[in-house]
Amino acid sequence: MPIILFQWSRWLLAVGLLLVACFTSAHPQDDVIISDIEMGPLQFQSTLAEAEYQAALKRQQQRKRNAMPWQQKFLLYTKAGVEHIIPKGLDHILFVLGLFFSTLALASLLWQVSAFTLAHSLTLVMAALGVVSVPANIIEPLIALSIVWVAIENCVFKQSTRWRPIVVFAFGLLHGLGFASVLSEYGLPKNDFLVSLLAFNIGVEIGQIAILLGAAILVWLIKNKSWYRFAIQIPASVFIATVGVYWFAERTVL
Amino acid sequence: MLKYANPFRTSLLALTMAISLAGCSQKQESESTAEQSVTKSDSHSIDDGQASTQTNPFFSEYQTPFQIPPFDKIHNEHYMPAFEQGMTDHLAEIEAITSNPDAPTFENTLEALERSGKLLTKSLRVFFNLASSDTNPEIQKIQREISPVLAAHQDKINLNPDLFKRVEAIWKVRDTLELNEEQLKLLDDQYKDFVRNGALLDKTQKEKLTAINAELSTLATSFGQNLLAETNGFELILDKNQLNGLAEGTISAAANTAKQKMEKVESEEEKARYQDKYVFTPHRSSMYPFLTESTERDLRKQLYSAYINRGSNNNETDNNAIVAKIAKLRAQRAQILGYDSHADFQLEERMLKTPAEVYALLMKLWKPALARAKVEVADMQAMVKTEGHDFKLEAWDWWHYSEKVRKAKYDIDETSLKPYLTLDNVLQGAFQTSEKLWGLSFTELFDIDVYHPDVRVWEVKDKDGSHLGIFMGDFFTRSTKRGGAWMSNFKGQSNLDGRERPVVVNVLNISPPVGDAPALLTFENVITLFHEFGHGLHGLLTNTTYSSLSGISGPRDFTEFPAQIYEHWAKEPEVLKTFAKHYQTGEVIPDELIDKLLKASKFNQGFANTEYLAASLLDMDWHTIKADEDLKDTNRFEKASLERIGLIGEIAPRYRSTYFSHIFAGGYAAGYYGYIHSAVLDSDGFAAFKETGDIFNQELAQKYRTNVLEKGSTEEAMTLYKKFRGREPKIDALLKVRGLDNPSETTNQQVSR
Repeated sequence: MPIILFQWSRWLLAVGLLLVACFTSAHPQDDVIISDIEMGPLQFQSTLAEAEYQAALKRQQQRKRNAMPWQQKFLLYTKAGVEHIIPKGLDHILFVLGLFFSTLALASLLWQVSAFTLAHSLTLVMAALGVVSVPANIIEPLIALSIVWVAIENCVFKQSTRWRPIVVFAFGLLHGLGFASVLSEYGLPKNDFLVSLLAFNIGVEIGQIAILLGAAILVWLIKNKSWYRFAIQIPASVFIATVGVYWFAERTVL
Repeated sequence: MLKYANPFRTSLLALTMAISLAGCSQKQESESTAEQSVTKSDSHSIDDGQASTQTNPFFSEYQTPFQIPPFDKIHNEHYMPAFEQGMTDHLAEIEAITSNPDAPTFENTLEALERSGKLLTKSLRVFFNLASSDTNPEIQKIQREISPVLAAHQDKINLNPDLFKRVEAIWKVRDTLELNEEQLKLLDDQYKDFVRNGALLDKTQKEKLTAINAELSTLATSFGQNLLAETNGFELILDKNQLNGLAEGTISAAANTAKQKMEKVESEEEKARYQDKYVFTPHRSSMYPFLTESTERDLRKQLYSAYINRGSNNNETDNNAIVAKIAKLRAQRAQILGYDSHADFQLEERMLKTPAEVYALLMKLWKPALARAKVEVADMQAMVKTEGHDFKLEAWDWWHYSEKVRKAKYDIDETSLKPYLTLDNVLQGAFQTSEKLWGLSFTELFDIDVYHPDVRVWEVKDKDGSHLGIFMGDFFTRSTKRGGAWMSNFKGQSNLDGRERPVVVNVLNISPPVGDAPALLTFENVITLFHEFGHGLHGLLTNTTYSSLSGISGPRDFTEFPAQIYEHWAKEPEVLKTFAKHYQTGEVIPDELIDKLLKASKFNQGFANTEYLAASLLDMDWHTIKADEDLKDTNRFEKASLERIGLIGEIAPRYRSTYFSHIFAGGYAAGYYGYIHSAVLDSDGFAAFKETGDIFNQELAQKYRTNVLEKGSTEEAMTLYKKFRGREPKIDALLKVRGLDNPSETTNQQVSR
């Protein structure tokens, strides 16, 4: 509440206490005058102010999203899902490419991708609902290792193994937890929670399919050449494995 | 108190929220922030006027929805150029009015004044709001620089003899002008402003007045500086074994204070003083927890004594002589202006017109309050005895033992209450109440640029769907915001040149939410939110022609009324149940909890009222002295004042003279009683709703809206109140609300009832 006295403007202004804030209940008479005169001016801590600002920014974003109609949320979270694969989810891109370079048989690839999708959807939903929770410093290095694993398998086995979908399923569980942690950073609205979660997952699938399609188009004409495995499949997998090793090191030691 | 007789004044008034004491000690600012702002201001220096005129958002109409200030475009470097240009423009406009060859008319003088100073008003509104709610070192620097400049500017207008001559000429023939009620009030207020500033005095008297004003200005500044030094000067440094009874939070805060003190001192020797210690200070936030929790009686006494002796320690920061001098100079000034005392001078503009009326009100409450306080003393003394002690309860024991009584009789578990009170629930409660009363509706807007991401914006619409104004809410505590809660305007209301609707803001200090949980409020927060929202409605529903008479511009003993009456709705079980729903289970707040809450509100009321009334009476005593009164000893004066009313030793006045900043450094002289007078109005006003048997009675709600909320200060406050209530206010309802209607009841009975 603001109110002030004002006739002797000169001295009042010089003292400068024109607006009185209002406390209520027990001591309505406590007000700004007291805090100004007895406490002195506010002290600044720029780091604190910055942290407060960031937290407020997140709350603001959350409020905006909560207020959207569900259709709009659906679009927003689908888009977010795509963006967390392309371009933000480089590790997931490499993992999916790792799957892609494992085989030329469409059926095998479909099995693997389906296993991966099922698994990461499962853990994503569970983590988002708070059923499971694993710290990022455990998940992230494991995700890097999963990339190394599939890429090395690609080099060792010409055709993907029978147990491969099972391995991929296990890795998918890890990747789902990874998605969950980026999603929790991004934030889920309190209302239309499931719609948004579903939309995010759909977005991730779209991103994944886009990567596979892109890769398929690029290798379409050469995939049946005799040199494909040695000139493309293995070098690409070696490259993927190398990056995976680097990430593992980065996420554990560096 | 002066009415806001022109928009410029309104702005200063409503806006100059936070000019911190000019020249008060400025502590070290965080270096990086200070550096940043210096760089910022350097790159846009004031000489660079040409370029900044184009980019300075104050220099053009706001191109924003609802003319909300374009916060994303306003930067620190825009303020000073806007103020400077604003003052230049304003003076030119005044000059145009006074040099107008036409005979003075209401239109070419009063309305022209009303239209003057727009740029200045506009920029000051933004500046002073942000100076309180989202400040930074650069803003604080500008504040210190601009406040004396603004004061001088204000004087150029308030003391302008040519302007006065024109206003006087119109005022003299006011009865022949066929002015409407509002226009007459504007004219009358403006004329009185001049007269109260000494416009009718002869030359020698004017000079005397100027000299007194200058001296009072200096004295008020010294008073504040001394008090700051005295408050910061005392510290109770404790060892680990002296912390008996203290809660974990209190201890860690004290350890923190010690750490901060250690960082501030230079030498190793000084640092060693704070090493591994716990520090308490006479700041209320530090003192109250200690007095409440500590079981060390001697230490409580030390801290309490330091608090109540501030400004009275016979050292270089002693305020005793200053207090006496201020009181005396004010009395002399009142005499020059033709009043019996400073209180008479002040009260002329209030609802209660004479010191006698104020004393009568205060004394009516005094007796039951004191009687109640004595019962509370007896209750606590009994508690002391039960504990096996045999000492007499003293002032420094009050917090400790009242807390024990509270726990025994009224304890409410805050943690079980809070989940019912999420910020969004409570906001909905405040909104829905106004919907039920007047059909208002609130639509949150998400695409408005605000000054901080925690600020929320709503468009407010009337029953018929027409736009009423913008309501902004800034609810959470942060390090760039001052403490407390307040309402203010970013844009005023006027119907002078088309329909201009206001932009109103409520600023609170609620703890921000932790993690993903919603923000949970205490019941005290709920009351504060409703209180400020009540002020907000006064600002939003106002509908006057002249901006300087709109909204919250009424007298000090009236302006709290719309805020305080709104609190009553929050306390009604019928209303509470509509919004207080558990955020996890959706369960409505149980009756039993409501019951406890409402009973607890009468706890310790004897103390609260007694300390407040004693301070109000002390304020009146200081300001009813005559110009020739022989004032030698401030202490003796205060003692006599308190003896006269029979204050008991277990209670000190809420403020003693040497630290009563409201009246000696702020604008509350002969005005501290205003809170209780507003309380008389809110209790009596709400009783009107209760009497109808429907707290949302439509007819009464409409009466309240059209006669109070819409009217600003376009009529005398008492007239407005009577039009709403149908009679003058009565004190009975207040006594009942505060549990003073039957003061001899012990707290025990109160609970069992």
